[in-house]
Amino acid sequence: MSLLTMILKMSEGLGKTCAIFFLTLLFSLPLGMLVALLRMSKNKIVSSVVRFVITVLRGTPLMLQLLAVTYGPYYLFGANVSRNKLIPVVIAFSINYAAYFAEIYRGGIESIPAGQYEAAEVLGYSRFQTFVRIVLPQVIKRILPSVTNEVVTLVKDTSMAFTVSYQEMFTIGKQIANSQTSFVPFIVAGVFYYVFNFVVDRVMGGIEKRLNYYK
Amino acid sequence: MKRFTALLIALLLLFALTACGAEDKPSDGRTGFIMGIDPEYPPFSYLGEDGQYTGFDVEICKAVCDYLGWELTIFGVNWDEKLVQLDSYECDCVWSGMTILDSMKDAGYVISAPYYDNTQVLVVKEDSGFSSSADLAGKLVAVQLGTSGEALLNGDLADLSATFGGVVTCDSFLKCFTELAGNSVDAVFVDLPVAASYAAEHEGYKIIDEQLGAEQYGIAFRSGDKALCSQVEGAIAALVENGKYAEIAAKYPDIVNNLLFLND
Repeated sequence: MSLLTMILKMSEGLGKTCAIFFLTLLFSLPLGMLVALLRMSKNKIVSSVVRFVITVLRGTPLMLQLLAVTYGPYYLFGANVSRNKLIPVVIAFSINYAAYFAEIYRGGIESIPAGQYEAAEVLGYSRFQTFVRIVLPQVIKRILPSVTNEVVTLVKDTSMAFTVSYQEMFTIGKQIANSQTSFVPFIVAGVFYYVFNFVVDRVMGGIEKRLNYYK
Repeated sequence: MKRFTALLIALLLLFALTACGAEDKPSDGRTGFIMGIDPEYPPFSYLGEDGQYTGFDVEICKAVCDYLGWELTIFGVNWDEKLVQLDSYECDCVWSGMTILDSMKDAGYVISAPYYDNTQVLVVKEDSGFSSSADLAGKLVAVQLGTSGEALLNGDLADLSATFGGVVTCDSFLKCFTELAGNSVDAVFVDLPVAASYAAEHEGYKIIDEQLGAEQYGIAFRSGDKALCSQVEGAIAALVENGKYAEIAAKYPDIVNNLLFLND
Protein backbone atom coordinates (compact mmCIF):
# COMPACT_ATOMS: atom_id res chain seq x y z
CA MET A 1 0.00 0.00 0.00
CA SER A 2 1.44 3.34 -1.02
CA LEU A 3 1.76 6.25 1.37
CA LEU A 4 -0.85 8.15 -0.61
CA THR A 5 -3.46 5.38 -0.31
CA MET A 6 -2.75 5.24 3.41
CA ILE A 7 -3.26 8.97 3.80
CA LEU A 8 -6.45 8.90 1.70
CA LYS A 9 -7.87 6.00 3.66
CA MET A 10 -7.11 7.67 6.98
CA SER A 11 -8.59 10.96 5.77
CA GLU A 12 -11.91 9.13 5.41
CA GLY A 13 -11.85 8.62 9.16
CA LEU A 14 -10.80 12.24 9.75
CA GLY A 15 -14.38 13.34 9.06
CA LYS A 16 -15.57 11.16 11.93
CA THR A 17 -12.81 12.52 14.18
CA CYS A 18 -13.94 16.07 13.30
CA ALA A 19 -17.57 15.13 14.02
CA ILE A 20 -16.66 14.14 17.58
CA PHE A 21 -14.57 17.27 18.01
CA PHE A 22 -17.06 19.86 16.81
CA LEU A 23 -20.18 18.27 18.29
CA THR A 24 -18.46 17.86 21.66
CA LEU A 25 -17.47 21.54 21.71
CA LEU A 26 -20.95 22.57 20.58
CA PHE A 27 -22.61 20.78 23.50
CA SER A 28 -19.98 20.89 26.25
CA LEU A 29 -19.17 24.63 26.15
CA PRO A 30 -22.74 25.77 27.01
CA LEU A 31 -23.38 22.75 29.23
CA GLY A 32 -20.24 23.60 31.19
CA MET A 33 -21.60 27.09 31.87
CA LEU A 34 -24.85 25.64 33.18
CA VAL A 35 -22.95 23.22 35.41
CA ALA A 36 -20.68 26.04 36.67
CA LEU A 37 -23.69 28.18 37.63
CA LEU A 38 -25.34 25.25 39.43
CA ARG A 39 -22.04 24.49 41.15
CA MET A 40 -21.99 28.06 42.50
CA SER A 41 -25.67 27.99 43.46
CA LYS A 42 -26.53 29.37 46.90
CA ASN A 43 -28.68 26.28 47.45
CA LYS A 44 -26.39 23.92 49.39
CA ILE A 45 -28.08 20.76 48.11
CA VAL A 46 -27.79 21.75 44.44
CA SER A 47 -24.19 22.86 44.74
CA SER A 48 -23.05 19.77 46.63
CA VAL A 49 -24.82 17.38 44.25
CA VAL A 50 -23.23 19.11 41.26
CA ARG A 51 -19.89 19.11 43.03
CA PHE A 52 -20.16 15.35 43.53
CA VAL A 53 -21.06 14.77 39.87
CA ILE A 54 -18.04 16.81 38.79
CA THR A 55 -15.70 14.76 40.99
CA VAL A 56 -17.07 11.56 39.45
CA LEU A 57 -16.66 12.86 35.89
CA ARG A 58 -13.17 14.16 36.52
CA GLY A 59 -12.16 11.29 38.75
CA THR A 60 -12.95 8.40 36.41
CA PRO A 61 -11.36 7.71 33.04
CA LEU A 62 -13.10 9.02 29.93
CA MET A 63 -12.68 5.55 28.46
CA LEU A 64 -14.79 4.09 31.27
CA GLN A 65 -17.45 6.75 30.75
CA LEU A 66 -17.54 5.92 27.03
CA LEU A 67 -18.11 2.25 27.83
CA ALA A 68 -20.76 3.11 30.43
CA VAL A 69 -22.72 5.38 28.09
CA THR A 70 -22.50 2.99 25.13
CA TYR A 71 -22.96 -0.43 26.71
CA GLY A 72 -24.42 0.52 30.12
CA PRO A 73 -28.05 0.68 28.94
CA TYR A 74 -27.68 -2.78 27.38
CA TYR A 75 -26.18 -4.38 30.49
CA LEU A 76 -28.61 -2.67 32.87
CA PHE A 77 -31.90 -2.80 30.97
CA GLY A 78 -31.21 -5.00 27.95
CA ALA A 79 -31.72 -1.96 25.71
CA ASN A 80 -30.28 -2.04 22.20
CA VAL A 81 -26.78 -0.70 21.69
CA SER A 82 -26.84 2.34 19.41
CA ARG A 83 -26.00 1.52 15.77
CA ASN A 84 -24.83 5.05 15.19
CA LYS A 85 -21.90 5.15 17.63
CA LEU A 86 -21.51 8.90 17.18
CA ILE A 87 -24.47 9.45 19.54
CA PRO A 88 -23.11 7.73 22.68
CA VAL A 89 -19.60 8.98 21.88
CA VAL A 90 -20.70 12.62 21.71
CA ILE A 91 -22.84 12.24 24.85
CA ALA A 92 -19.94 10.79 26.84
CA PHE A 93 -17.42 13.33 25.54
CA SER A 94 -19.79 16.29 26.09
CA ILE A 95 -20.60 15.35 29.67
CA ASN A 96 -16.96 14.73 30.49
CA TYR A 97 -15.69 17.94 28.93
CA ALA A 98 -18.55 19.96 30.44
CA ALA A 99 -17.24 18.98 33.88
CA TYR A 100 -13.79 20.34 33.07
CA PHE A 101 -15.14 23.47 31.40
CA ALA A 102 -17.44 24.09 34.39
CA GLU A 103 -14.47 24.26 36.75
CA ILE A 104 -12.62 26.57 34.37
CA TYR A 105 -15.65 28.86 34.13
CA ARG A 106 -16.05 28.83 37.91
CA GLY A 107 -12.42 29.84 38.37
CA GLY A 108 -12.94 32.70 35.92
CA ILE A 109 -16.19 33.90 37.46
CA GLU A 110 -14.82 33.81 41.00
CA SER A 111 -11.78 35.84 39.96
CA ILE A 112 -13.96 38.90 39.33
CA PRO A 113 -13.70 41.16 42.41
CA ALA A 114 -16.86 41.70 44.47
CA GLY A 115 -16.45 45.47 44.08
CA GLN A 116 -17.57 45.22 40.46
CA TYR A 117 -20.87 43.66 41.49
CA GLU A 118 -21.38 46.43 44.05
CA ALA A 119 -20.56 49.11 41.50
CA ALA A 120 -22.96 47.57 38.99
CA GLU A 121 -25.69 47.52 41.60
CA VAL A 122 -25.14 51.20 42.33
CA LEU A 123 -25.41 51.93 38.59
CA GLY A 124 -28.78 50.18 38.55
CA TYR A 125 -27.79 46.97 36.69
CA SER A 126 -29.91 43.91 37.39
CA ARG A 127 -28.10 40.72 38.46
CA PHE A 128 -28.60 39.20 35.00
CA GLN A 129 -27.32 42.36 33.27
CA THR A 130 -24.31 42.48 35.58
CA PHE A 131 -23.39 38.90 34.72
CA VAL A 132 -23.89 39.13 30.95
CA ARG A 133 -22.56 42.65 30.32
CA ILE A 134 -19.84 43.07 32.93
CA VAL A 135 -18.69 39.74 34.36
CA LEU A 136 -18.92 37.37 31.38
CA PRO A 137 -16.82 39.41 28.89
CA GLN A 138 -13.97 39.57 31.40
CA VAL A 139 -14.33 35.90 32.30
CA ILE A 140 -14.08 34.80 28.66
CA LYS A 141 -10.85 36.72 28.23
CA ARG A 142 -9.33 35.29 31.38
CA ILE A 143 -10.22 31.65 30.80
CA LEU A 144 -9.34 31.44 27.13
CA PRO A 145 -5.84 29.95 27.63
CA SER A 146 -7.25 27.21 29.90
CA VAL A 147 -10.04 26.49 27.43
CA THR A 148 -7.49 26.17 24.63
CA ASN A 149 -5.71 23.59 26.75
CA GLU A 150 -8.85 21.48 26.96
CA VAL A 151 -9.66 21.90 23.28
CA VAL A 152 -6.19 20.68 22.31
CA THR A 153 -6.61 17.68 24.61
CA LEU A 154 -10.00 16.98 23.04
CA VAL A 155 -8.43 16.63 19.59
CA LYS A 156 -6.19 13.87 20.90
CA ASP A 157 -8.87 12.25 23.08
CA THR A 158 -11.03 11.56 20.01
CA SER A 159 -8.84 8.50 19.42
CA MET A 160 -10.44 6.95 22.51
CA ALA A 161 -13.74 6.52 20.64
CA PHE A 162 -12.28 3.29 19.29
CA THR A 163 -13.02 1.64 22.66
CA VAL A 164 -16.67 1.59 21.64
CA SER A 165 -15.94 0.54 18.04
CA TYR A 166 -16.37 3.98 16.48
CA GLN A 167 -14.28 3.94 13.32
CA GLU A 168 -12.42 7.24 13.50
CA MET A 169 -9.11 8.15 11.91
CA PHE A 170 -6.80 6.47 14.43
CA THR A 171 -8.79 3.22 14.24
CA ILE A 172 -8.32 3.13 10.49
CA GLY A 173 -4.64 3.86 11.06
CA LYS A 174 -4.41 0.84 13.37
CA GLN A 175 -6.20 -1.33 10.82
CA ILE A 176 -3.71 -0.37 8.12
CA ALA A 177 -0.77 -0.79 10.51
CA ASN A 178 -1.99 -4.32 11.15
CA SER A 179 -2.66 -5.48 7.66
CA GLN A 180 0.62 -3.99 6.38
CA THR A 181 2.72 -4.79 9.48
CA SER A 182 3.90 -1.20 9.22
CA PHE A 183 4.55 1.67 11.58
CA VAL A 184 3.94 4.37 8.97
CA PRO A 185 0.19 4.85 9.68
CA PHE A 186 1.04 5.91 13.23
CA ILE A 187 3.37 8.58 11.91
CA VAL A 188 0.63 9.74 9.52
CA ALA A 189 -1.81 9.84 12.46
CA GLY A 190 0.69 11.87 14.49
CA VAL A 191 1.03 14.38 11.66
CA PHE A 192 -2.76 14.59 11.29
CA TYR A 193 -3.22 15.33 15.01
CA TYR A 194 -0.40 17.86 14.99
CA VAL A 195 -1.79 19.75 12.00
CA PHE A 196 -5.28 19.68 13.52
CA ASN A 197 -3.95 21.13 16.76
CA PHE A 198 -1.80 23.64 14.90
CA VAL A 199 -5.00 25.01 13.35
CA VAL A 200 -6.78 24.94 16.74
CA ASP A 201 -3.86 26.82 18.28
CA ARG A 202 -3.93 29.50 15.56
CA VAL A 203 -7.72 29.93 15.80
CA MET A 204 -7.69 30.22 19.58
CA GLY A 205 -4.70 32.57 19.38
CA GLY A 206 -6.63 34.72 16.91
CA ILE A 207 -9.65 34.88 19.23
CA GLU A 208 -7.42 35.82 22.16
CA LYS A 209 -5.88 38.62 20.13
CA ARG A 210 -9.26 39.99 19.08
CA LEU A 211 -10.45 40.02 22.67
CA ASN A 212 -7.39 41.95 23.77
CA TYR A 213 -9.02 45.26 22.89
CA TYR A 214 -7.72 47.09 25.98
CA LYS A 215 -4.07 46.36 25.26
CA MET B 1 23.20 27.14 21.57
CA LYS B 2 25.86 25.37 23.61
CA ARG B 3 23.36 24.48 26.26
CA PHE B 4 21.00 23.16 23.58
CA THR B 5 23.72 20.96 22.10
CA ALA B 6 24.56 19.63 25.55
CA LEU B 7 20.92 18.79 26.13
CA LEU B 8 20.71 17.05 22.77
CA ILE B 9 23.77 14.95 23.55
CA ALA B 10 22.38 14.08 26.97
CA LEU B 11 19.16 12.92 25.35
CA LEU B 12 21.00 10.85 22.76
CA LEU B 13 23.06 9.23 25.52
CA LEU B 14 19.88 8.38 27.36
CA PHE B 15 18.54 6.68 24.23
CA ALA B 16 21.80 4.82 23.81
CA LEU B 17 21.59 3.59 27.40
CA THR B 18 18.04 2.28 27.01
CA ALA B 19 19.02 0.66 23.73
CA CYS B 20 21.86 -1.18 25.51
CA GLY B 21 19.38 -2.34 28.13
CA ALA B 22 17.28 -3.92 25.45
CA GLU B 23 20.20 -5.71 23.78
CA ASP B 24 21.27 -7.22 27.05
CA LYS B 25 18.57 -9.89 27.18
CA PRO B 26 19.84 -13.45 27.51
CA SER B 27 19.60 -15.64 24.44
CA ASP B 28 21.15 -18.90 25.58
CA GLY B 29 21.41 -20.09 29.15
CA ARG B 30 17.84 -18.91 29.38
CA THR B 31 16.05 -19.31 32.69
CA GLY B 32 12.85 -17.43 32.01
CA PHE B 33 10.40 -17.21 29.17
CA ILE B 34 7.77 -14.52 28.64
CA MET B 35 4.72 -15.68 26.76
CA GLY B 36 2.75 -12.96 25.00
CA ILE B 37 -0.97 -13.71 24.89
CA ASP B 38 -4.27 -12.08 24.04
CA PRO B 39 -5.88 -12.42 27.50
CA GLU B 40 -9.37 -12.42 25.99
CA TYR B 41 -9.12 -15.26 23.54
CA PRO B 42 -10.81 -18.39 24.86
CA PRO B 43 -10.26 -21.28 24.51
CA PHE B 44 -6.61 -20.56 23.62
CA SER B 45 -5.76 -18.00 26.27
CA TYR B 46 -8.02 -16.35 28.81
CA LEU B 47 -8.39 -15.46 32.47
CA GLY B 48 -9.67 -18.57 34.26
CA GLU B 49 -12.17 -18.79 37.12
CA ASP B 50 -9.32 -18.70 39.64
CA GLY B 51 -7.93 -15.44 38.24
CA GLN B 52 -4.94 -17.15 36.59
CA TYR B 53 -4.38 -17.20 32.85
CA THR B 54 -5.31 -20.48 31.28
CA GLY B 55 -6.34 -21.94 27.93
CA PHE B 56 -4.93 -24.47 25.51
CA ASP B 57 -1.94 -22.38 24.42
CA VAL B 58 -1.16 -21.34 27.98
CA GLU B 59 -1.23 -24.93 29.25
CA ILE B 60 1.00 -26.14 26.42
CA CYS B 61 3.43 -23.30 27.07
CA LYS B 62 3.48 -24.16 30.77
CA ALA B 63 4.29 -27.76 29.90
CA VAL B 64 7.02 -26.61 27.50
CA CYS B 65 8.59 -24.42 30.19
CA ASP B 66 8.39 -27.26 32.74
CA TYR B 67 10.08 -29.53 30.21
CA LEU B 68 12.86 -27.04 29.49
CA GLY B 69 13.22 -25.88 33.09
CA TRP B 70 12.26 -22.27 32.34
CA GLU B 71 10.29 -20.00 34.57
CA LEU B 72 7.17 -18.90 32.72
CA THR B 73 5.84 -15.35 32.84
CA ILE B 74 2.61 -14.59 31.04
CA PHE B 75 2.22 -11.17 29.50
CA GLY B 76 -1.07 -9.88 28.10
CA VAL B 77 -0.31 -8.01 24.89
CA ASN B 78 -2.41 -5.41 23.18
CA TRP B 79 -3.37 -7.61 20.22
CA ASP B 80 -3.09 -4.98 17.54
CA GLU B 81 0.37 -3.99 18.82
CA LYS B 82 1.58 -7.52 19.49
CA LEU B 83 4.56 -7.49 17.13
CA VAL B 84 5.76 -4.11 18.35
CA GLN B 85 5.60 -5.43 21.92
CA LEU B 86 7.48 -8.55 20.84
CA ASP B 87 10.17 -6.42 19.22
CA SER B 88 10.53 -4.29 22.34
CA TYR B 89 11.21 -7.39 24.47
CA GLU B 90 8.02 -7.10 26.47
CA CYS B 91 7.53 -10.76 25.63
CA ASP B 92 9.63 -13.48 24.00
CA CYS B 93 6.94 -14.85 21.74
CA VAL B 94 3.38 -14.25 20.65
CA TRP B 95 1.53 -17.49 21.25
CA SER B 96 -2.21 -17.11 21.44
CA GLY B 97 -4.21 -18.55 18.59
CA MET B 98 -2.15 -16.37 16.28
CA THR B 99 -2.78 -16.75 12.56
CA ILE B 100 0.34 -17.02 10.45
CA LEU B 101 0.32 -14.17 7.94
CA ASP B 102 2.68 -13.81 5.01
CA SER B 103 3.30 -10.22 6.05
CA MET B 104 4.81 -11.47 9.34
CA LYS B 105 7.28 -13.68 7.50
CA ASP B 106 8.05 -10.86 5.08
CA ALA B 107 8.80 -8.60 8.05
CA GLY B 108 11.38 -11.15 9.24
CA TYR B 109 9.63 -12.71 12.23
CA VAL B 110 10.50 -16.32 13.00
CA ILE B 111 7.29 -18.34 12.89
CA SER B 112 7.01 -21.85 14.33
CA ALA B 113 5.58 -24.79 12.43
CA PRO B 114 1.78 -24.43 12.29
CA TYR B 115 -0.05 -26.35 15.00
CA TYR B 116 -3.67 -25.61 14.29
CA ASP B 117 -5.95 -25.48 11.24
CA ASN B 118 -8.41 -22.67 11.54
CA THR B 119 -11.40 -21.42 9.67
CA GLN B 120 -13.51 -18.35 10.18
CA VAL B 121 -17.25 -18.44 10.74
CA LEU B 122 -20.11 -16.00 11.18
CA VAL B 123 -22.02 -16.05 14.46
CA VAL B 124 -25.58 -14.71 14.46
CA LYS B 125 -28.49 -14.65 16.88
CA GLU B 126 -30.55 -17.82 16.82
CA ASP B 127 -33.80 -15.95 16.20
CA SER B 128 -32.36 -13.76 13.44
CA GLY B 129 -33.26 -16.12 10.61
CA PHE B 130 -29.86 -15.78 8.91
CA SER B 131 -28.58 -19.10 7.60
CA SER B 132 -25.87 -18.23 5.10
CA SER B 133 -23.38 -15.45 4.48
CA ALA B 134 -25.56 -14.32 1.56
CA ASP B 135 -28.37 -13.51 4.03
CA LEU B 136 -26.11 -10.91 5.59
CA ALA B 137 -26.11 -8.66 2.53
CA GLY B 138 -26.53 -5.09 3.68
CA LYS B 139 -26.09 -6.06 7.34
CA LEU B 140 -23.45 -4.95 9.82
CA VAL B 141 -20.72 -7.43 10.76
CA ALA B 142 -18.34 -7.01 13.70
CA VAL B 143 -14.75 -8.25 13.67
CA GLN B 144 -11.84 -7.85 16.09
CA LEU B 145 -9.11 -5.46 14.99
CA GLY B 146 -5.82 -7.20 14.31
CA THR B 147 -7.30 -10.66 13.86
CA SER B 148 -7.01 -12.76 10.75
CA GLY B 149 -10.76 -12.35 10.28
CA GLU B 150 -10.21 -8.65 9.78
CA ALA B 151 -7.35 -9.32 7.38
CA LEU B 152 -9.53 -11.76 5.42
CA LEU B 153 -12.38 -9.27 5.07
CA ASN B 154 -9.90 -6.76 3.65
CA GLY B 155 -8.13 -9.35 1.49
CA ASP B 156 -9.29 -12.75 0.28
CA LEU B 157 -12.89 -12.19 1.34
CA ALA B 158 -13.15 -8.57 0.18
CA ASP B 159 -15.93 -9.56 -2.27
CA LEU B 160 -18.00 -11.00 0.56
CA SER B 161 -17.34 -8.06 2.84
CA ALA B 162 -18.42 -5.66 0.06
CA THR B 163 -21.92 -7.21 0.23
CA PHE B 164 -22.17 -6.43 3.95
CA GLY B 165 -23.73 -3.14 4.98
CA GLY B 166 -20.55 -2.37 6.88
CA VAL B 167 -17.77 -3.88 8.94
CA VAL B 168 -17.35 -2.68 12.52
CA THR B 169 -13.94 -3.28 14.11
CA CYS B 170 -13.83 -3.74 17.88
CA ASP B 171 -10.84 -3.92 20.19
CA SER B 172 -11.74 -7.34 21.61
CA PHE B 173 -13.88 -10.18 20.35
CA LEU B 174 -15.96 -10.04 23.54
CA LYS B 175 -16.92 -6.50 22.58
CA CYS B 176 -17.96 -7.83 19.16
CA PHE B 177 -20.32 -10.21 20.94
CA THR B 178 -21.64 -7.43 23.19
CA GLU B 179 -22.44 -5.47 20.04
CA LEU B 180 -24.25 -8.52 18.68
CA ALA B 181 -26.14 -9.05 21.94
CA GLY B 182 -27.16 -5.38 21.97
CA ASN B 183 -28.34 -5.64 18.34
CA SER B 184 -25.99 -2.98 17.05
CA VAL B 185 -24.45 -5.49 14.63
CA ASP B 186 -26.05 -8.50 12.94
CA ALA B 187 -23.17 -10.95 12.95
CA VAL B 188 -19.67 -11.50 14.34
CA PHE B 189 -16.88 -12.82 12.13
CA VAL B 190 -14.51 -14.84 14.28
CA ASP B 191 -12.34 -17.97 14.47
CA LEU B 192 -14.33 -21.19 14.63
CA PRO B 193 -13.09 -22.41 18.06
CA VAL B 194 -13.83 -19.05 19.65
CA ALA B 195 -17.29 -19.04 18.08
CA ALA B 196 -17.94 -22.61 19.20
CA SER B 197 -16.97 -22.01 22.80
CA TYR B 198 -18.94 -18.76 22.95
CA ALA B 199 -22.08 -20.29 21.46
CA ALA B 200 -21.78 -23.24 23.85
CA GLU B 201 -21.59 -20.99 26.91
CA HIS B 202 -24.18 -18.41 25.91
CA GLU B 203 -27.72 -19.12 24.85
CA GLY B 204 -29.35 -17.73 21.76
CA TYR B 205 -26.44 -17.79 19.30
CA LYS B 206 -25.75 -20.00 16.34
CA ILE B 207 -22.86 -20.47 13.97
CA ILE B 208 -23.61 -20.21 10.27
CA ASP B 209 -22.50 -23.50 8.78
CA GLU B 210 -20.07 -22.11 6.25
CA GLN B 211 -16.32 -22.23 6.77
CA LEU B 212 -14.74 -19.13 5.34
CA GLY B 213 -11.02 -18.71 4.75
CA ALA B 214 -8.58 -21.42 5.77
CA GLU B 215 -5.49 -20.51 7.76
CA GLN B 216 -3.11 -21.86 10.36
CA TYR B 217 -1.97 -20.86 13.82
CA GLY B 218 1.68 -20.59 14.79
CA ILE B 219 3.96 -18.99 17.36
CA ALA B 220 5.84 -15.80 16.49
CA PHE B 221 9.37 -15.03 17.68
CA ARG B 222 11.70 -12.09 17.05
CA SER B 223 13.77 -12.23 13.88
CA GLY B 224 16.95 -13.22 15.75
CA ASP B 225 15.38 -16.00 17.79
CA LYS B 226 15.56 -18.94 15.40
CA ALA B 227 17.30 -21.07 18.03
CA LEU B 228 14.63 -20.25 20.62
CA CYS B 229 11.94 -21.21 18.13
CA SER B 230 13.48 -24.63 17.41
CA GLN B 231 13.99 -25.18 21.15
CA VAL B 232 10.27 -24.60 21.77
CA GLU B 233 9.30 -26.68 18.74
CA GLY B 234 11.52 -29.50 20.04
CA ALA B 235 9.88 -29.36 23.45
CA ILE B 236 6.41 -29.49 21.87
CA ALA B 237 7.45 -32.50 19.80
CA ALA B 238 8.59 -34.22 23.00
CA LEU B 239 5.23 -33.45 24.64
CA VAL B 240 3.41 -34.90 21.65
CA GLU B 241 5.64 -37.98 21.96
CA ASN B 242 5.01 -38.56 25.67
CA GLY B 243 1.26 -38.02 25.42
CA LYS B 244 1.16 -34.86 27.53
CA TYR B 245 0.04 -32.84 24.50
CA ALA B 246 -2.96 -35.10 23.84
CA GLU B 247 -3.81 -35.03 27.53
CA ILE B 248 -4.04 -31.23 27.53
CA ALA B 249 -5.85 -31.18 24.18
CA ALA B 250 -8.52 -33.53 25.52
CA LYS B 251 -9.61 -30.74 27.87
CA TYR B 252 -10.52 -28.57 24.89
CA PRO B 253 -13.05 -30.54 22.82
CA ASP B 254 -13.87 -27.54 20.60
CA ILE B 255 -10.42 -27.44 19.06
CA VAL B 256 -9.04 -30.97 19.36
CA ASN B 257 -10.07 -32.00 15.86
CA ASN B 258 -8.08 -29.25 14.21
CA LEU B 259 -4.78 -29.76 16.06
CA LEU B 260 -2.21 -30.63 13.43
CA PHE B 261 0.22 -32.53 15.67
CA LEU B 262 -2.47 -34.97 16.80
CA ASN B 263 -4.07 -35.67 13.45
CA ASP B 264 -1.01 -36.51 11.36
